[in-house]
Amino acid sequence: MTITDTFAQHPVLSADRPAQMAAAKALRAARARKGAIAYHTAGAAIVLFFAAPFVIAGLSSFRNGTEAQTAPLPPWPTAGFSVDSYRTLDSFGAGIWQHTVNSALVSLATVLLTVLVSLLAGYGFSRYRFPFKNALFVLIIATLMIPFQSILTPLFIILAKLGLNNSLFGLTLVYVTLQLPFSVFMMRNAFDAVPKEIEEAARIDGARDLRLLARVLLPLVLPGVATVAIFAFLNAWNEFLAALVLLSSNEHYTLPVLMMAVRAGRLGAINWGAVQAGVVVMTIPCLFVFLLLQRYYMRGLMAGAVK
Amino acid sequence: MNMIARDMSHPAGSEATAAAPSPSVELVDVCKSFGALQVIHGINLTIPEGSFAVFVGPSGCGKSTLLRMIAGLEEVSDGLIAIKGREVTDLDPSERGIAMVFQSYALYPHMTVRDNLAFGLKMAHTPAEEIAARVAAAAAILKIEPLMDRRPGQLSGGQRQRVAIGRAIVRKPDVFLFDEPLSNLDAELRVSMRIEIARLHRELGNTMIYVTHDQTEAMTLADRIVVLRDGRIEQVGSPREVYQDPDNLFVAGFIGSPRMNMLTASMQGEERLLLAKTVLPSPARAASGDVVTLGIRPEHLRLVPDNEEGLSAQVDFCEYLGGTQYLYCRLPDGQAIVAEHRDRATVFAGAPVRLGWSTGDARLFDSQGQRLR
Repeated sequence: MTITDTFAQHPVLSADRPAQMAAAKALRAARARKGAIAYHTAGAAIVLFFAAPFVIAGLSSFRNGTEAQTAPLPPWPTAGFSVDSYRTLDSFGAGIWQHTVNSALVSLATVLLTVLVSLLAGYGFSRYRFPFKNALFVLIIATLMIPFQSILTPLFIILAKLGLNNSLFGLTLVYVTLQLPFSVFMMRNAFDAVPKEIEEAARIDGARDLRLLARVLLPLVLPGVATVAIFAFLNAWNEFLAALVLLSSNEHYTLPVLMMAVRAGRLGAINWGAVQAGVVVMTIPCLFVFLLLQRYYMRGLMAGAVK
Repeated sequence: MNMIARDMSHPAGSEATAAAPSPSVELVDVCKSFGALQVIHGINLTIPEGSFAVFVGPSGCGKSTLLRMIAGLEEVSDGLIAIKGREVTDLDPSERGIAMVFQSYALYPHMTVRDNLAFGLKMAHTPAEEIAARVAAAAAILKIEPLMDRRPGQLSGGQRQRVAIGRAIVRKPDVFLFDEPLSNLDAELRVSMRIEIARLHRELGNTMIYVTHDQTEAMTLADRIVVLRDGRIEQVGSPREVYQDPDNLFVAGFIGSPRMNMLTASMQGEERLLLAKTVLPSPARAASGDVVTLGIRPEHLRLVPDNEEGLSAQVDFCEYLGGTQYLYCRLPDGQAIVAEHRDRATVFAGAPVRLGWSTGDARLFDSQGQRLR
């Protein structure tokens, strides 16, 4: 008995088989089309939802001088594009360039120091055996539970004693300190996920100490490094309170502190255009860093979750 | 191919097989403790140049630890290790003249196959032309040339293991160390890689030390089996010696599948023993009245007619394996016994049988488990 015979005897498929198959095919196609439409509609809605703040801030920063003085409703230029708001923003403090450079210096230095220290600390906690290892690790993690505002005063006093008050370097050290617990935790996890055998194979191949770390292990923990770098950068770039408290001279202000001055306005009048221009200036590096590293970042957060 | 094989082979390897073998790896009173827990108890072992030694034993017997100590990945708590007459106990792994193949392959995932092979040589600042030549030679031996620009993630398990072996070959080590290299492969691939490793040993002629818990691997690959239990050597010998002439009950039971039947008996006079209410000739002498263990391998048992010397038993169940059958039987005193039955005639569960063997095939052990000869 052939397969055709079997089908011929089957009561459901017995009638007009070509027509039935065509109908089933059409049904499948319709279902697929429906699914695609729903998928793309939902996707477009989500994109709109997330892109809206950026679009609104971007558009309203290009309103002209008089329009910029009023509340941003509607949030796009009605009397032509102009860069008046950016000029106004530049007239605050020591100029927008100076403050951007301040912020960039502090943020990049924070990223560098945090990555360096947490890389070594994470490696040590993951691979070496030493007394009180777990107690020390828990202690480091426990500092995450202390609200940062509560140690602001002691930090201020310590920096003053060290003569690092009102300096970008002092601020950087504070940011690194705040960033380290999370970063060490992150890097320890990243190193834990690297099989020990790979390190042992490298040791047999003659790689030791820093060469082992740089040539073999660093590429493997790169997702973790990217995660730590993104967090360090964003937190240092956006941090406001410590910068406000620890910096006292105008020319050292970072962007968030400058923004407060802009937001407060002059003589009580808020320049909405300048505020939006500041928002744009502050957003661009964050977007840039995130888009640059997001591929690694996702892998870093997922590390250990699967497999 | 011939030229490559000669080029890659260790010069001393071929000499060693011809002349009296010089020691390649020597362990003297080697101990290892993790804190208060001692896992290796004073191992003394000499592995001749060019031999293929297999450490075998149940999990937790210390075979991997011992290998890792030879590699230098695990510190030696006490004792000495020498490789090719040079004391290496406290040397760095890279300075011992060894190469290791891991169970999990341990390839560098971010490097291509070529870079994986070349990494050790780069670390040793070998000239670029020599690196290229040695990598190409290793790739040719293992037939992995088409894979050279791929990353480990794009390879199958068997290919990864080849690359891992290639990484060992390019180092031109005095001693190859294998830590259960085939455990992650499926059954079919395991057999073909096993043959591959045997071929490699013949071509290169280096000393190889291989750790496994799989006694088939041990029997087929080794020219010298080291049976370990609880951090101690139970027996060292060729596969034939270990199988046919075990020193104690542990080795007798560990080597061979299905395992040797261990039957408790008592001596009746010095040369006969009482087993399951039957008096039989003993394969070795022991004091009358002693409780002993008689060991008989399943393949040495055969079904005999009722009038011949043997034990009557009842078949509990049968395993049919095509070429052979295993009969799981029970003696009148309740002891279990497995017999291999190569006859085509089917034996059914519940059938009464009579099992006989030639006395020379049986082994006798005292109540401490030591062999009586």
